[in-house]
Amino acid sequence: MTMTEPRDGATAPTATEPLLHVADLHTEFRREQGEPLRAVDGVSFDIAPGRALAIVGESGSGKSVTMRTVLRLLPRTARTTAGTARFQGRDLLTLSARDMRRVRGRDIGMVFQNAMEAMNPTLTLERQLTEHLLWHGICGKAEAKKRAVQALADVGIPEPERRIRVYPFQLSGGMRQRAMIAMAMITQPALLIADEPTTAVDVTVQRQILDLLAGLKERGTGIIMITHDLGVARYFCDDAVVMYAGRVVERAPTRDLLDTPRHPYTRGLLGSSVEVGGRDRPLAPIPGSPPDLARRPVGCAFHPRCAEAQLPRCREDQELIEISTTRAAACWRAGDDDD
Amino acid sequence: MTETTPAVTPGEETVDAIVRAENVTKVFSTRAGDVRAVDDVSLWVARGETVGVVGESGSGKSTVARLLMGLQPCTSGRVVFDGRDLASVQGRELRVLRRRMQMVFQNPFGSLLPHYSAAANVMEPMRLHGRGTKESRRDRAVELLDLVGVNPRFADLYPTQFSGGQQQRIAIARALALEPELLVCDEPTSSLDVSIQAQILSLIGDLQDRLGLSCLFISHNLAVVERLADRVAVMSEGRIVEEGPAEQLFESPQHPYTQRLLGAVLPVTS
Repeated sequence: MTMTEPRDGATAPTATEPLLHVADLHTEFRREQGEPLRAVDGVSFDIAPGRALAIVGESGSGKSVTMRTVLRLLPRTARTTAGTARFQGRDLLTLSARDMRRVRGRDIGMVFQNAMEAMNPTLTLERQLTEHLLWHGICGKAEAKKRAVQALADVGIPEPERRIRVYPFQLSGGMRQRAMIAMAMITQPALLIADEPTTAVDVTVQRQILDLLAGLKERGTGIIMITHDLGVARYFCDDAVVMYAGRVVERAPTRDLLDTPRHPYTRGLLGSSVEVGGRDRPLAPIPGSPPDLARRPVGCAFHPRCAEAQLPRCREDQELIEISTTRAAACWRAGDDDD
Repeated sequence: MTETTPAVTPGEETVDAIVRAENVTKVFSTRAGDVRAVDDVSLWVARGETVGVVGESGSGKSTVARLLMGLQPCTSGRVVFDGRDLASVQGRELRVLRRRMQMVFQNPFGSLLPHYSAAANVMEPMRLHGRGTKESRRDRAVELLDLVGVNPRFADLYPTQFSGGQQQRIAIARALALEPELLVCDEPTSSLDVSIQAQILSLIGDLQDRLGLSCLFISHNLAVVERLADRVAVMSEGRIVEEGPAEQLFESPQHPYTQRLLGAVLPVTS
């Protein structure tokens, strides 16, 4: 199954090869003592051009490590032990470091949660924006500057000719986040990976940034958005995968996922989320906290927190079970109430 | 209580307020000039009531919390806690007042003492205020940890050995150690995961019911405030632009800014 089938035949391209095909990814972290930690443990997903995929999960679920694995930006203590990440016909995991550098920033753009940390505080926006263009040899200096000004204008930064000379700290948080998106988009990458791009900004700015990213999507950019915010996923992403303890526990078109969640963990996330207008709905928090990967529960990692768990079935490994052509969940009971 | 301060809002004189800000302004002087962080704000918390303050970053909501706690002096206006102007109280008397108001911060790890165990963190305010003996303080700390859902078996572990949610529970236990009448929470769930946020919100709601706490609850998250607050004030650029009962404010917001804030919320369910 792929996530690329159009739901209503509207926008998604048909039957073409996915933009990025990730299969059976495994990444582990070395420790001073004991077995390595399996931070990413058999993750697979696809993304098509012009689509947005949400990777949803709590801290420690492996969503950021998954993306860092694909981008080959892991710390030294981490090692990818298996899997493929096919992007435009090549496996990113086997590219030379040199070839990989040509992909990052040119074909794959990156947007991070905190622009203040992601940008170089000692360089003006002009230097940072033109760097990708000049380093990849896409154009000359004069043209690069022109494009940088245009890129700032495109993300709605007023007075781009003046703003291009400022340093990141001279911008407000919302403006910095936009500048970082401009930086990621200036090379017109085919794929954009955004790690919690709106978590650090105010709600009114969040909407503007998502609408900005929606414009890119319309022009055919595939977007992977890492988020813990189910409202953002619903608003922006066509499809979603839910991660827990390094594995995908459910994948589905976002609306289906949130309207009829099939994995108990997804249901738990929904029961935990507070919504405006939901004052009278009692909160149903998931008890306990996400597992320490060094002490990953056997079988389904969620079963110690799961209200619906049945032993010994849940102590066995749970594979992703396909429920329909577009949905899968890693729970042996997920298919039970199929409609 | 002998409340003699002048009324700020019609009808307010009848309110038995634990804390009241009267036309409070706070100006910070920076190299770039003066910043009016809080501009003529009047706000009160009645006994047993939870007041929510919402606003975006830079709206002045955290500064309001700090002024109400007496952690910073007002530039003009005054803060009255249980009938006493905080600016006129000093030294020993201020310390006595202080233990009646406690605060929970956004980052629990930053607010706990890293080299003190969970129990020692909760005991510290009691020690500083000369409450009980070492043994009785420890018993009380263990009781409080149990109350907020931290297993007393882990009382001797250090903050780093707990998850973020557990750390926030310890910070709440510490805030409750002196049996405060006013609890000020500044973004207490903003650094927590969704499932943990829900647990902490349930805990705070539960404590409000059980202990009859008066509470000032500050958050940028409208849904969180709606869930816990009886009354809500919306801040923008240092001013309160709208204030009213939570239900009413969320159902029919009057001020364009409140409408814009609510309009920007992205629903999870259809």
